[in-house]
Amino acid sequence: MSRLSRRHALAGLGATGLGAATAVSALRPRRARAAEPVTVWWTQGFYQAENQAVIDAMATWEKSSGTKVNLTIMNGPDLISKMIAAMQVGDVPDLVHAVTGDRFLVPRAAWDDKLVDVSDVIATQQHEYHQTALESSKFYNATLKKHSYYSVPVKCSTMMEESWRPLIEEAGFSDKDMPTTQDAYYDFFQTVQDRLRSKGRRIYGLGYSMATKEADAGTLFHAFLVAYGGSGIVLPSGKLNVDDPAVRQAAVTALERLTTPYKKGYVPPGAINWGDVDNNNAFFAKQIVMTPNATISIAVAQMEKPDQYYKQVITQGIPAGNDGKPVPSLLGVSPCLIPKGAKNIDGAKALLSAFIQPNTLNTYLKETRARYLPVMASIIRDDPYWQDPADPHRPVAVEYGLIRPTIPWWMNYNPAYAAVLSEQIWSQAEANVTQKGMTPEQAADAAMTRIKAIFERFQIA
Amino acid sequence: MAIATTVDNPAVAPVVSRSVRRSPLAGTDRLWALAFVTPYVAVFCAFVLYPVGYGMWLGSDVASYRQLLADPVFPSAVVNTLIYLLVAVNLKLALALLLSGLFMRRGWWCRLLLLIFILPWAVPGIPSFISIHWMLNSQWGLINNAIWALFQVDGPPWLDNADLALGSVIYAHVWKWLPFWTVIFLAGRMAIPRELYESAEVDGAGALDRFFHITFPLLGGLYLVCTLLSTIWALGDFNSVRFISGGGPALSTHVLATLGIRNAFELGNPALGMATVLSALPLLIPLVVLLTRQLRRGEVQL
Amino acid sequence: MSVASRARLDRRLTELGIGLLSAVLLIWTLVPLYNMVRVALQGKEDVFSSNVFPTAPTLDSFATAIDESYWLLENFWGQMGNSLYIGLTVAFLTLAIGTLTSFTISRMRIRRGWMLTNAALLTYAIPMSFLAIPFYSIMGKYGLTDNPIAVIAVEVTFATPYAIFIFKQYGASIPLELDDAARIDGASPPQIFFRIYLPLMAPALVAIGTYALLLSWNEYLYAFLLLSSDGHITVPVGLGKFLNSDEAPWNYLMAAAIIYALPPMAIYYAFRRKMNSGLTMGGVKG
Repeated sequence: MSRLSRRHALAGLGATGLGAATAVSALRPRRARAAEPVTVWWTQGFYQAENQAVIDAMATWEKSSGTKVNLTIMNGPDLISKMIAAMQVGDVPDLVHAVTGDRFLVPRAAWDDKLVDVSDVIATQQHEYHQTALESSKFYNATLKKHSYYSVPVKCSTMMEESWRPLIEEAGFSDKDMPTTQDAYYDFFQTVQDRLRSKGRRIYGLGYSMATKEADAGTLFHAFLVAYGGSGIVLPSGKLNVDDPAVRQAAVTALERLTTPYKKGYVPPGAINWGDVDNNNAFFAKQIVMTPNATISIAVAQMEKPDQYYKQVITQGIPAGNDGKPVPSLLGVSPCLIPKGAKNIDGAKALLSAFIQPNTLNTYLKETRARYLPVMASIIRDDPYWQDPADPHRPVAVEYGLIRPTIPWWMNYNPAYAAVLSEQIWSQAEANVTQKGMTPEQAADAAMTRIKAIFERFQIA
Repeated sequence: MAIATTVDNPAVAPVVSRSVRRSPLAGTDRLWALAFVTPYVAVFCAFVLYPVGYGMWLGSDVASYRQLLADPVFPSAVVNTLIYLLVAVNLKLALALLLSGLFMRRGWWCRLLLLIFILPWAVPGIPSFISIHWMLNSQWGLINNAIWALFQVDGPPWLDNADLALGSVIYAHVWKWLPFWTVIFLAGRMAIPRELYESAEVDGAGALDRFFHITFPLLGGLYLVCTLLSTIWALGDFNSVRFISGGGPALSTHVLATLGIRNAFELGNPALGMATVLSALPLLIPLVVLLTRQLRRGEVQL
Repeated sequence: MSVASRARLDRRLTELGIGLLSAVLLIWTLVPLYNMVRVALQGKEDVFSSNVFPTAPTLDSFATAIDESYWLLENFWGQMGNSLYIGLTVAFLTLAIGTLTSFTISRMRIRRGWMLTNAALLTYAIPMSFLAIPFYSIMGKYGLTDNPIAVIAVEVTFATPYAIFIFKQYGASIPLELDDAARIDGASPPQIFFRIYLPLMAPALVAIGTYALLLSWNEYLYAFLLLSSDGHITVPVGLGKFLNSDEAPWNYLMAAAIIYALPPMAIYYAFRRKMNSGLTMGGVKG
């Protein structure tokens, strides 16, 4: 049955309901066009000051533009679900800032032609933007058959390594003993665990996020994938490249290196259920010695406790590859987007353009306590805050996120990879190894079969 | 929900239904009747017929079902749903039937116990489920803390193992809803005339005999209806799974209700989500037919 | 052994069994609730500690929830108000629609009344969460996104069928002769409804009102999907926000949760007798 005729059949069935619908919607007050407010949905910050900075920025713009802003702050996963639902119905806000939206929201929506092209907003700051951040904002629109900017980068981050100095010292090591290459680095914490356990501590060396939900587990797996040489899993043309033996081998190695410590008891059993905040919480509770995390949120949450912030928590970038060569970091970009069907697109664009003025953006990002990094070179150049040598965490994050080589995620080449991420294919593969006794090879092959099937649904002309 | 029972037994004089013939409605009365039922008819059309029809339409795309069948999470969700329904519902109702016997006893102790026992039902679900979720955390939850304090060993990984996690979900469901069904069966038992038991006792029947020869036969119809209703409700139970296991570990404890929401709102595919939910129809329809037939018989009334 | 002492032994054994069973039941019932209280009484730093009893119990988290002095609780009483508003409206509408419908079906004896009964039965047999997906879209079409009316509509939809059944059941015990007498005196249907039907239905009204209130107090999925702005969300949705915090402020969450649990408990225990008689009457009496 065609979509149209099904619609007709439904119309008959729901005629009475629709009648009621009209009656209800007629009750809705219609505002005058001129005073149309801008409705904004924003991902909840982790600190009150961060939310306050958003509220303040909106208030300032309200005053200067004379347009009202209706701001709703929601937590990350909820906002994504609600946006998906809202776009389905077409009753959408005007402007959305969605952390992890670069994975779970924008690629698919751009493909379905549900987002407003924001190239004109990007153009106002084009020369300022960090190159990878720009690349991370281009997506393919299957209706118009072209790539364009469908999101405006606001902040970014790369995976960082956080560890407890007192625990490392308790195990008889110092900072300098920490290896700098991939396998040696992570194995080091297994030794730390062994030594601490022999002293009677109930503790785990490695805080690997391995859950089939939210973003952290995906961030970790793909950092490993890149470290083992699998960054070519999707080609810039959008073609899937899992049959490349190097990619397959990288995936198998990444799975093996993540699951073996888990099976050996170096990762908390609960890690297969961790949401994005749970490794932070386990770290604070000193249940783990180290954890790879998508931002430096763990360190900055300790800012009020100078002892912990300056002396106890160590922040490092990702280790070099086993061959000693630096590994590029995957840059996660938190986007703003304007859904099609927004009632005040012009207002949303004006607000967004004002918000990404380097000064405004910098004020906001500093309130995230550098948990997120600027997407603009001039900000870190002009404001000494970002590379303050007295700070043990922030300059490290800036170094890895903005100065060293970074690469965009593969959703920019093909939105199919966004589906791979939201279906948590690789975390399922990890679980197949840890829970169902598959070998890493079997799990990787099963995952690749699923990924091929997903890519079938997204053919780029 | 209120289930009331008419016990079918010879000791009670059959209730003669009043079939007073009345003249058909005329004139203004008819208008009044129309006006009185309009709110419900409107609610039914706008919020039952239309959503059901729209849902059916959303879930009528064959491609969605193909995609669903290709998803390895789907078969495990089907199996989980069946296990959940079979174990949780039957365990809960069997316990409720037995416990209702305990609360039939007279005495201040049983009355006080009932007051406390009813708490899980009176306390809102979400806070309780969050509490159970934390209580079962393998590293710092109350249960494993207690096990460590008593025996100095690590307790089981309640939520980190697929079987235990499903078991934990079932536990939470039984905990929350056991009091309600116990009260229902208690009402059913109270409807059984005491004389039946008294004469049985005179004949020398033991407690077990009395249960199997009086209580169970008389409550059989009620028990069946409760099973059907409880199964239907458990099929739509989202909160227990969502808040206890979250579908984890590794998506291994999803049931159709939670998988549908995940597919619709996390993966961004409402048609797939609706298809997930509608795949329960082959199970739901026979249940509804059975339930309707059982209710029509009139032994048990809702 | 004499018959008397045998009987005494039996009674002892039964009492022992009941004692044991009671103990098990008490633990079973109270452990999750104790855990709520335990977490709420802990300091924020002790959330991950391995204690079974709070080491330094404090009521601070209740104070924090009450004066909204933690940022995730800054609109706690507002959310409480929303929950209450939704709950009371649901209760009122359920009672109004339920009584009107059952009155018409069973006392005005309209033709095709069975269709209404069947419609209610159909609704009764739909697993509630199964309609979440279409409901979201439909509320968008009705212009009710982020509007408490949407949640009220859903809950009324799922509460009325039950109300209709109970009212029909309960109403059967009110003699039709009363209506007839009133009619002869010239009373119109609304007068019979308000003056005779409603007063006599009082116990069932209390039971169903409480039931509808509890239903809405328990609701999470629809409130979560249909409400988004801070000014509109209910307490369970607000509590959900906590779970995404890396400050693990779970003592505050549980304190807020306990406060949220108090009104329905109070209502339930206040109306318990009416509740039980209202919900389980009808055929029970033979």
